[in-house]
Amino acid sequence: MKPLSGIRVLDFGLLTAGANTSAMLADLGADVVKIESGAYMDPFRTVGQRDTAPGWWNRSPQFHFTNRNKRGVALNLKHAEGRRLILELAKGCDVVVENFRRGVLERFGLDYAALKAVNPRIVLASISSQGDTGPNRLHASYGSTLDATGGMAALTGYADDGLPRISGMDVNYPDQVVSLLASGLVIAAVMNARRTGEGALLDISQREIASFMIGEEIVAAGADPKRRAPPRQGNAQDGIASQRCYRCTDGRWVAVTLRDANDEMTSKRVTAQMNLAEWCAARGASDATAELNAAGLAAAVVRDGMDLIRERNLAGDTLAWLPDGGLVKGMPYRFAGVPLVVERRAPDLGEHTNETLRELLGLDDDALAKLAALGVTSAEPERI
Amino acid sequence: MTRPLLGITILEIDGPHTPLCIRLATSLAAKIAADLGARVLKLEPPGGDMVRTTPPLLPADGRSALFQFLNTSKRSITLPTDRRAALDALLAGRIDAALYEEGDVVAAALLAERNVARVEIAGWPESMPQPHPPLSGFTVLALGGLLDMVGEAHREPLRLGGHQGSYPAGLAAFTALMAQLAAKNVPPARVSLVEALLWVNWKAAAGAHADGKAPTRDGTRSEFQVVPCADGHIALVYGVTQFDAVAALIADPRLNDPRFATRPERRRLITEIYDVLKPWCATRTRAEIYKAAQARGIPFGAIVTPFELISDPQMVDRGFIVDMDGLKMPRLPVLWNGTGFAPSPLIEEAGR
Repeated sequence: MKPLSGIRVLDFGLLTAGANTSAMLADLGADVVKIESGAYMDPFRTVGQRDTAPGWWNRSPQFHFTNRNKRGVALNLKHAEGRRLILELAKGCDVVVENFRRGVLERFGLDYAALKAVNPRIVLASISSQGDTGPNRLHASYGSTLDATGGMAALTGYADDGLPRISGMDVNYPDQVVSLLASGLVIAAVMNARRTGEGALLDISQREIASFMIGEEIVAAGADPKRRAPPRQGNAQDGIASQRCYRCTDGRWVAVTLRDANDEMTSKRVTAQMNLAEWCAARGASDATAELNAAGLAAAVVRDGMDLIRERNLAGDTLAWLPDGGLVKGMPYRFAGVPLVVERRAPDLGEHTNETLRELLGLDDDALAKLAALGVTSAEPERI
Repeated sequence: MTRPLLGITILEIDGPHTPLCIRLATSLAAKIAADLGARVLKLEPPGGDMVRTTPPLLPADGRSALFQFLNTSKRSITLPTDRRAALDALLAGRIDAALYEEGDVVAAALLAERNVARVEIAGWPESMPQPHPPLSGFTVLALGGLLDMVGEAHREPLRLGGHQGSYPAGLAAFTALMAQLAAKNVPPARVSLVEALLWVNWKAAAGAHADGKAPTRDGTRSEFQVVPCADGHIALVYGVTQFDAVAALIADPRLNDPRFATRPERRRLITEIYDVLKPWCATRTRAEIYKAAQARGIPFGAIVTPFELISDPQMVDRGFIVDMDGLKMPRLPVLWNGTGFAPSPLIEEAGR
């Protein structure tokens, strides 16, 4: 039984935070209809551009990672007819997900009030950098901006140079955690809407999520003047006796946590009283890890991206391999007896426009031809 | 605004031998449900949850700030040594769903017997051959490939601040819990810390798969760097098409050098570019730089401490940090029809 079967999602989600929230709902059984247009594509189609041959916008790996299990519809919101059709679709949807710049949805007449007017049960998940309100509501951010402004970077860095560190463009950590929470909030809102008949506007601030991820540090800093200007402490951690990475003979790093004096004694026993740095420097990373683990210590070889795609037991269900060798995102959890299945690869721009408008709105060939002639359903990128 | 999970009862079953990194995930998932209005019974093992004594500790009374953050809006019951009987009695009442932890055979058996909707929080993926080595939040970051992504290329990989080895799994467990409640007979779910972290770090896998080479930490060789400014630090973050906008902001003719015209060349010459950016930042404050950049749509970010968040105008305007029994406590990061859900302190019930 898919937990969200029968739930339909209108997906304006872009890049990771938005598009992946809808993807998680799709994995749980929701019917997700992704709306783009030739006038405005998910930027992941461009960010991940690999070539310049026609159809390049359908080949971005990043786009494929975050949009599998969805159908793709092209509807131009700049066109009155496009906006009218969105409201028609919204009547039959349970959820709308969006992470446009603030103000875009209002400009198109598709804000919560407009959606609610056609469907009181609708749940609008509005995901933005700073939230829908407040003096900074229009401020732009990338994930790594929020490492800084959310408070995590101040707690990240080497002890010697004291420079705060961000997760960087190949991680953008704050972007990645948004959908893990937002999809759960949407499900809670849908359950509530079913019970009460009333939907909800979920105003989700990515910066607040970034700060929530270090919530205990806010509590501590608010109560303890000594924590107002936190020093960077490398990999060390309060309450942990010793924690750092050691370089081994093969050049690889091993991460080791010694929780307390007992762990430190165990480590001394394993290394025959040598310090861990010298001991690791004299052996390979896998051997060092195996010996430390066998003694009951938490140690692991630091993996890189190549390891993640090679070690399939380690990746579990988080990566999904397609029959053609392609790789897309899997799920962060598993349900007993339900293997992860990628039922659809990510849609080409506008791939399911006609079949979706036929099925959901009952449009006939004439109506579809008219929309195409007006350019409402054009799936050719207007500019790069 | 009535809280959306009002009327739902959830058990958070803290196992007697659970590692700290797993407990942090379990408690975070249950906390979110509790702040959303669910009645969450936190069942602590005999002797109590070890997070009660885990730093950071509050100077006034030695309570754990971490415990306070992770256990808002719950009710806590400490189970006696005979956990089975106590747990069995609790499960005889109406329970909508339960969170429990790997290795808690008592809870696993009782929940299965009564077919309770449930989410198990574990360390390793189920697909990983046994025995599973011990884990810490730090080694989870190593296994998920996130350590490899942060820091300087030739230096020790760096962990992100806080408990990021645990919290992504906590969020995933919350969402899995909501999926359990969304329909009848949803199969039990399992979340592992390693899988959740690896899932978060998907760009490392995507990059490796697309290029045959793993993206990795490049610290002060990166296009995005943190640099000192007059009153702290600023993260220079901008879009790949925004270099001209950055050059216009800094207004130093050296940035108009034709050698900086293409992105691959800019990446190669990044040190020269930062040689221009750094002195400009050094004489200006975080607020000046942030404001000037935002005015041009450039997403630079000021480095802000957790303490500074408490008085941050945006955070204050949205009521993100609330007073809870004298503590500054972040609320859930969502406004629900314009309302924030203020967390309340844990209620300690007598043991059973």
